[in-house]
Amino acid sequence: MRHCRRLFAKLKNLFRRGHAEHELTREVAAHLRLLEDEFQRRGMSLDEARIEARRAYGGVEQAKQLQRDERSILWVEQTFADLRFACRSLLKTPGFTTVAVLTLALGIGANIAIFTVVNAVLLRPLPFQHPERLVRVLDDLKGAGAKDVGMSVPELEDLRDRSGVFDDISVIWPVSTALSGGDHAERIELLGTGFDYFQILGAQAALGRVYGPRDAAPGFSEAVVISDGLWKRQFGGDPRILGRRIRVDEDGYTIVGVMPPDFRHPGQTLAGDVELWSAAGFVANPFPTPPVRAKRFLPGAIARLKPGLTVEQAQQHLDALAAQLAQTYPKEYPAASRWSLRLEPVEQNLTASVRPTLVLLLAAVGFVLLMVSVNMASLLAARSSARMRELAIRQALGASRARLVRQLLTESVLVSLAGGLAAMLVLALTKGSLLALMPADLPRLTEVHFDERIVGLACLLSLFTGVLFGFTPAIHASAADPNRDLKEGSRNGSPSLRQNRFRGALVAIEVALSVVLLSGAGLLVHSFWNTLRVNPGFDPKGLMVARIWIPNPNDPAMNRYQTAPPIAGLSREILRRVRTLPGIEEAAMGGDNSVPLVYNSLGQTAFSLPDQSDSSRKERSAEYTAVSPEFFQVLRTPVLRGRSFSEADTDKTKKVVVVNESFAKQYLSGHDVGQRINFFGVDREIVGVVADVRDDGLDSPPVPRVYRALYQVPNNEIAVFLRGASDSAGLKQAVTRIVQAVDPELPVYGVRAMPEMMAASLARRRFSLSLMAVFGALALFLASLGIYGVMAYAVSQRAQEFSIRMALGALPRDILLIALRPGAKLTLVGVLVGLMAAQGTTRLMASLLFNVSPADPVTLIGVPIALAAVALLACWIPARRAVRIPPVAALRS
Amino acid sequence: MPSEGKSRIQVLQGTLDLIVLRTLRSLGPQHAYGIAARLEQVSGDLLKLNQGTLYPALVRLEQQGWIKGKWDTTENGREAKYYAITKAGLKALGEETQRWRQLSGLVEKLLGEES
Repeated sequence: MRHCRRLFAKLKNLFRRGHAEHELTREVAAHLRLLEDEFQRRGMSLDEARIEARRAYGGVEQAKQLQRDERSILWVEQTFADLRFACRSLLKTPGFTTVAVLTLALGIGANIAIFTVVNAVLLRPLPFQHPERLVRVLDDLKGAGAKDVGMSVPELEDLRDRSGVFDDISVIWPVSTALSGGDHAERIELLGTGFDYFQILGAQAALGRVYGPRDAAPGFSEAVVISDGLWKRQFGGDPRILGRRIRVDEDGYTIVGVMPPDFRHPGQTLAGDVELWSAAGFVANPFPTPPVRAKRFLPGAIARLKPGLTVEQAQQHLDALAAQLAQTYPKEYPAASRWSLRLEPVEQNLTASVRPTLVLLLAAVGFVLLMVSVNMASLLAARSSARMRELAIRQALGASRARLVRQLLTESVLVSLAGGLAAMLVLALTKGSLLALMPADLPRLTEVHFDERIVGLACLLSLFTGVLFGFTPAIHASAADPNRDLKEGSRNGSPSLRQNRFRGALVAIEVALSVVLLSGAGLLVHSFWNTLRVNPGFDPKGLMVARIWIPNPNDPAMNRYQTAPPIAGLSREILRRVRTLPGIEEAAMGGDNSVPLVYNSLGQTAFSLPDQSDSSRKERSAEYTAVSPEFFQVLRTPVLRGRSFSEADTDKTKKVVVVNESFAKQYLSGHDVGQRINFFGVDREIVGVVADVRDDGLDSPPVPRVYRALYQVPNNEIAVFLRGASDSAGLKQAVTRIVQAVDPELPVYGVRAMPEMMAASLARRRFSLSLMAVFGALALFLASLGIYGVMAYAVSQRAQEFSIRMALGALPRDILLIALRPGAKLTLVGVLVGLMAAQGTTRLMASLLFNVSPADPVTLIGVPIALAAVALLACWIPARRAVRIPPVAALRS
Repeated sequence: MPSEGKSRIQVLQGTLDLIVLRTLRSLGPQHAYGIAARLEQVSGDLLKLNQGTLYPALVRLEQQGWIKGKWDTTENGREAKYYAITKAGLKALGEETQRWRQLSGLVEKLLGEES
């Protein structure tokens, strides 16, 4: 009770400082007056009484201070005083304050921006119930070196019924599909799933319901769920959408639910967000019946682990299951292929590809902030050496060292908080354009938000930064010795050597830090350069792609494009018509998987060569696609041996394939053309070998690939390759018109220029590269600023010395050398330390490099040279000034 | 602030507060000088204190609500702040006195055993 009362009184005094102070002064004066009266009464004169009264009272100021300490909360009052003082002194030096706040805003802002992305993409759990129990199930053929080969229906059933580790498991199968009903068919992104899909994610519809086990059917179920995006775009956000019938790939379905706007399928899709979810049992039309264990047509699965089970434990169960299955079905799982099941947390599966990039960027901005801090420390050191006298006087008046440190720290934290605030303002205002800079294929990009937790973090970071850069200069400055510094300072405000040595050390650190940053940036630049020099295996210039989806109705009897001949007829007709388009010089076609640099859910498949026994059959795998006769000519992919396909290769003639060079090298050793291979259970003859095409991106090594003749195999997806067109929007209209004149149910989509697609495939690399380059440039700038500051100061300090030397006959060149020496020494030390540090740090970014070793000599020699050049320039400018000072002027000053 | 000085004040604090309360109870409302003069008079040369050191105790007691200060004039027409003990102060004085007696009794007993 009495403590509460006191605290309250103290708080009141904090805000009524003036009143309390006035009361105190009045009371002390009254007290002294009474004492004087008393002494005068004892017969002293007025002057004597006054002196005696003070003696009896003791130190007036000390008494007042004791009373102040008692009446109020001391540290709060002092902090207020410090803040007021810091504001005043910062406002008095607007130049310093502006530079400081801007550099800090840059450093803190960069950190906050990158961290916001890292937080959303890597740190925040996925927006599902118990996301840690969500896993992807992947099938590998380790013996053939093939990963994620897909699974068959019996395998899926074994996983569900016999593994004992999953609550639920569902197929996830991203496919294209044709949505018709409007004025023309539109291609949309469909996710084929099992009936447990939404249950696994724990997701609910925003409108209506999601499908579930009660919708179970052997083939596709009638009930489908649409995305918020499709609902708004295609159905105008109609609230009476539930129960609406739609036609998808010529089959009828009923919309039972609309997902919330922020719901995203946590996995890879073909060309954008999933727009339609459709569930199937996968054991009736259009799927192969009866299910066969060896037919791994399901591309992948997502599952929810049973509670309390770790991924490692579940993995052990699956290993046991795989071994057991291999024993039971030796024919389907030959020992040499080493079929195995792999679990991967969904979160990891989704973000693994960007993790190294983001971690690198986070480390880089951390370095930038460190450099900003070092720079600030150097600025503060310069500032406090100018304030040496002030500090010495404070100390002489009785301020303790801790008190001085606190006051100086208040100032640096205040600057830092101002920087943080500026950074937040800029970030909040430019959020939209910053997000647009991010590579569009970054997973979870839509989850990047700027919330109060980020604001809190920014405050903490500012506080931390302020203490980080303010502490050492404050300790240094507070070591002022009134006796020495008041004297030393009294001459011309020159600070001690010690201060300058401290700044020198800071500069060396800055140089070292920038070597590390620049090495990272340099390695990325070199990697990017190497990527651009890779021969893609085709000529993207002037090449356009348009894709056509051929609907695949559930009932084979309804499928007009079930076999190769009708598709061949369609393809030939479309090709004939597009060739007549203005500007088009050549045109070719390809089937599923034929467009370079585009993700396909089809993985690799196993094949056999006739001379090998069946047991080793599954050791070999290759990607596969189908192309028209003109394909290699239009893409300018050289045919190395044998021939390309011809119009004569039809379903009536023998099945032929062309393989790429990697395939020939890896599997055929010499005699390739004329060799026969067994692929999808059909014997085919290799008629040609073509150069490798970098299908998975310029920086992915080519994979063995088999091209089949387009007119010999049915395909649901047709890509038209056009040379000579320039405008993708105009081309889309033209191709759509042609295609839908042939068949109005076929949607045209994905019309893009190949160079643009190549640029997009490099987007992530370019993104990390540009950020690193910006950070590197920033580092270089900060380092040169630091060097310049210290050097300019050192030169101005030694102006008299230089004048004497020149008066005694030193040549300008000699002076220049003397003036340059300390800066050169600092730079050299910094570069050496930085290079050693870079040895360690660049190793961590190995996964981001392409054809460049972390110890890349070009980078590790180029960076120090560039840095040394900039540093020497920063030294040279002040040094030259030293030479230009007329000796007389310097000596007289 | 050096810790040694702080601990000295801490020791003084309790007793000084008690003494001030006791003085105010016997003298009635009194100003700081009056309290100091009374202390010197009672203690003789034993307790030599700068009069200014009374202020922290006065602030503390007033903030605890045990005394109340009020401006008034002395018989010589000088203005001065008179402190009066409050009801809560009287109660506290009783308790504190009790505690002090216990403590000093205990110390006395221990010292007696030693010799």
